[in-house]
Amino acid sequence: MSEHPHAGHGDDHGHGHHGSPFIQHHYDDAKHQFEAGKLGIWIFLAQEVLFFSALFVAYILYRHHHPEIYAYAHKYLDTKMGAINTGVLIVSSLTAAWAVRAAQLRQQKLLIACLATTIACAFGFLVIKYFEYTHKIHEQILFGKRFDPCVSSGGTPLLTKSNECPGTKSTVQWDFATSSPKEGSCFGDVAIDLDPKKPNVQADCKVFELTGSTTFQDGKEVFVEKGRREITARCPDPVFGRDLGLPPGTDPSKTSYPCWKTNHQPHVCKGGWYFTWYCEGDSCAAPFGGEGPFATQQACVDARRGKEGSGTVTECAPSHASGILVEYGDHDVREGVRITAECKAPAAPVAEGDPLEDKAQALALGQASLATEAPLTKAERKNALYAGPPPEHTNMFFTIYFAMTGLHGIHVLIGVFIFIWLLIRAIKGHFTPDYFGPIDFAALYWHIVDLIWIFLFPLLYLIH
Amino acid sequence: MATAHHDAHDDHHGISHVASAKVLLGTGGSLLFLTVVTVLATKVDFGPSINLALAMFIAAVKATLVVLFFMHLKYDKVFHTVIFVGAILAGALFVGFTLMDTGQYQETNIWDVDRPPPAPIGPRPISG
Repeated sequence: MSEHPHAGHGDDHGHGHHGSPFIQHHYDDAKHQFEAGKLGIWIFLAQEVLFFSALFVAYILYRHHHPEIYAYAHKYLDTKMGAINTGVLIVSSLTAAWAVRAAQLRQQKLLIACLATTIACAFGFLVIKYFEYTHKIHEQILFGKRFDPCVSSGGTPLLTKSNECPGTKSTVQWDFATSSPKEGSCFGDVAIDLDPKKPNVQADCKVFELTGSTTFQDGKEVFVEKGRREITARCPDPVFGRDLGLPPGTDPSKTSYPCWKTNHQPHVCKGGWYFTWYCEGDSCAAPFGGEGPFATQQACVDARRGKEGSGTVTECAPSHASGILVEYGDHDVREGVRITAECKAPAAPVAEGDPLEDKAQALALGQASLATEAPLTKAERKNALYAGPPPEHTNMFFTIYFAMTGLHGIHVLIGVFIFIWLLIRAIKGHFTPDYFGPIDFAALYWHIVDLIWIFLFPLLYLIH
Repeated sequence: MATAHHDAHDDHHGISHVASAKVLLGTGGSLLFLTVVTVLATKVDFGPSINLALAMFIAAVKATLVVLFFMHLKYDKVFHTVIFVGAILAGALFVGFTLMDTGQYQETNIWDVDRPPPAPIGPRPISG
């Protein structure tokens, strides 16, 4: 092995060393210098462990308190990308370890090849991370207040606070007369009234969102359905709360009944008698404009039930129309999404009577939809969870995710620069069996970076 | 030049131990294999806590392989092990102390609309 130009010359320090010119004169010999550096790097690595442990504490503490957030949010991450990155880092760790061996054995070409492979793998890791991050930025799956996801962790579209998601649909009104969606919005001329007491109104519907693509066949536009999910709102009544219409002993989580809802999932307005009004203190307002001069909250309640106790109900009642309102983020039509509904015949009109009977009728109306559903299988429950909106404080998962992967990514980036510096020095032939400390120390640093990722991967991507 | 001599024995005549090719390849291969195992293990449902324990066990085995062979700690000075294990113990202490009182906060931290915490004990406040 004679390709090394500098080996055997160390006299320029005046100490009479044999070996590398990079042995500093204040060390006894090459081994002395190497061991001093090695102690230093191990102390640095200990510091790195403590440094990252702060973030692991945040992770563990938050996961302990909010397992539901982790169970939901990990689905946003792409396990395949995480696994590929794990493999890439392991290969780079292997080549880094081999670079040390090559330097120790004076295998100059192998040393250069190992360092170059390590750099290439580190770049590969960063490129994959770049794709993961840009996807999350695009879908607003970010940290803190910036967490406003366009899709659920299962990939279904969500109604966002910021209305900034690309290509989301605003409003679809379902026209029961023609069994097709209406154009326009809830706030336009056509208000929604699904009062079951009125003729030709069907209140008990299941609403479905279809995904698919539009193609042309024989000059006609045909929608090819690829998947469907039910998006009928299931929520407690916003005005009456948990008391409304729920038979005693009914599990609220297993019932669906008419309601309107304003959280981050598609609105589905279904049913209408309390849709039309809401109360604040002594005043009663229609949600889509118009105020009712109701004296008491009870009058509002009566008004919602179609009673004319206050004598002013008709003044602020909206015009009658039938439909289902489905709202997504902004006002562009979302490609490849259709809304459809399956409705049951309207409940038979019941003569108006005392409030108790009225309530009984409301119960009767909801009966079909109130029926307890067959228990879901574990997989179905999970998919239903992933299709729904994120649980509260899911932003914390991504705050922790970006802090941990970001800090780790910075370490990888620093590693790239260190290994480029080592590659240049290796090409210059600086490293010899008695002077390979920088490679050994950089490799140790690189292994710690790999080690951190070995834990980050299952903790973030592989949550069951 | 790499010789059979170097590969066959732990080499200590240089200024530091030279890892043998067999050990390096074996470690790298085991790490890749365990990565596949941990991904596949997630697809099997053992229950959340066992799945987590399994994933952490595999990660710990992988970390041990990296530290012992890639980082040469098996052949290195004991003092370096003391430094490194000391840092990990300090981190564990950090986690343990932070988690010590978590059981006392659950009622207030987790607010599930469908399962609100029980009403406070005591007489109902008199209104009006």
